[in-house]
Amino acid sequence: MENKQSSSPASFVDSTVVPGDVVLDLSSMTNQTIKLGGGLRQDCDAISAMKAGTLRFSKPNKYWIESSQKRYVPCVEDTILGIVVDSKADNFLIDIKGPAMGFLPVLAFEGGTRRNIPKFEVGTLLYLRVVKANFGMNPELSCTDASGKAAEFGPLKDGYMFETSTGLSRKLLSSPACPVLEALGKKLSFEIAVGLNGRVWVNAASPDTIVVVANAIMKSECLSEAQQIIMVDHLLKNIQ
Amino acid sequence: MEGRLANSWRLTLNDKNFIKTALLSEIRIDGRKPFEYLLIIMVIYREDGSSEVQLGQTRVMGMVTAQLVQPYRDRPKEGILSIFTEFSPMADPSFEPGRPGELAVELGRIVDRGLRESRAVDTESLCILAGKFVWAIRIDLHILDNGGNLVDAANIAALAALLTFRRPECSLGGEDGQEVIVHPPEIREPLPLTVHHLPIAISFGFFSNESILVIDPTHNEEAVMGGRMTTTVNANGDICAIQKSGGEGVPRRVIMQCLQLATSKAASITKQIKDAVEVFNTERALRKIKRHPTSTGDDVREKQN
Repeated sequence: MENKQSSSPASFVDSTVVPGDVVLDLSSMTNQTIKLGGGLRQDCDAISAMKAGTLRFSKPNKYWIESSQKRYVPCVEDTILGIVVDSKADNFLIDIKGPAMGFLPVLAFEGGTRRNIPKFEVGTLLYLRVVKANFGMNPELSCTDASGKAAEFGPLKDGYMFETSTGLSRKLLSSPACPVLEALGKKLSFEIAVGLNGRVWVNAASPDTIVVVANAIMKSECLSEAQQIIMVDHLLKNIQ
Repeated sequence: MEGRLANSWRLTLNDKNFIKTALLSEIRIDGRKPFEYLLIIMVIYREDGSSEVQLGQTRVMGMVTAQLVQPYRDRPKEGILSIFTEFSPMADPSFEPGRPGELAVELGRIVDRGLRESRAVDTESLCILAGKFVWAIRIDLHILDNGGNLVDAANIAALAALLTFRRPECSLGGEDGQEVIVHPPEIREPLPLTVHHLPIAISFGFFSNESILVIDPTHNEEAVMGGRMTTTVNANGDICAIQKSGGEGVPRRVIMQCLQLATSKAASITKQIKDAVEVFNTERALRKIKRHPTSTGDDVREKQN
């Protein structure tokens, strides 16, 4: 696989692509299963880019295009934060910051049956997973992982949710941990949930901590690693 | 129906609760104190009579243009000052294109009242020929991004645009002295408007009955707060207008407190506007020699169409 990448168009990995670029040629990589993430589409044997950004590859076989935008384009297997807007007989309508409302089937919970449909007030914040994201239909969401377990998904209590760009939320989830979070985590204890749709939820014991964490994250977007650490130190000094 | 739902802006229950509980211990989500005003960033474009104001996330552009018109029958010697607002869905998806919403009308009215009722702009000096020709000054306020407290930002943008505006000089001529000659800007230097003082709008938000008060509410706080009051005061401490909206009742003591706070803020904002205008004026004087021949004239005509 590594060899093929250097010879085939897969050397696009980690470089900037624009819509229309053919980034992968499937005819030269038979007997492989690849998974496509956001911003890529398949036309027969050609995998082409649909948006401008950086092509990323994660072992063993995932490809996606990373860019930063305010609006979220749903993509299968993304974990996101959604807000309940309405509940219908079969679905909850969820705002996911995307072009269309997400549908959360009332049975998409661990051990969900017709008998124990959860009740969500309008405005409840949920941690969700995207199950289906096809063109022309509303994305389908779920509160379980692929094996049907609840696994952290579900409503988030208390705390504070704020919006960022999709690029920043991806940076927060990257490993090794993002320098802001690492610097904050050394001094403060807090809980955080990051949705790939550019929503971040923070909870801590005192509102002071939540405000500091939220502001540090929002300010970190355009800063380099060293700058991020300096900024966090500065903020922490202010509250002590 | 779904489209409407998608465009309406909403806040989670978590945020609503957090904003309220944090305010009880005098903490605001952007790290400010309740009586702290956001930093104002003012950009004045190269063109006369235009400005852009940034108040946190909020961005408002102001544009001032002028036109020669016939005055109103009942006020033959007074120029006309009118304010138009433009709420584009680009700024906030909840703004519907076309018909101006309730907020758009209220914003226009508050800015209009502040300027007109306090006679901040001398309309009589805009008269050229009584009953025949006066200048009609039009202020266009474009909302570019909505991060809360649009009224204050729009008001500052309107003032900055008014202060930098220049109208072409006119004189009477012809055989009977009834003909108006508009002098192009290259021949006679355009004149600034006479602005007596700057009425600054300062908004306050009130939360439930715990008598919590914040100045300059953000977008999120606006969604939670029960009532709002906009006081328009100038740096001398004169009250030009007060607008109270929302259901929350406000005791007299709190109104007095608001007015005191507003007066002190107004002084600093006035200074900031004047400084920005000063910078613009010196820059303008420096490049006066090289000015493009039709910079002002063309612009006025374009805006009228």
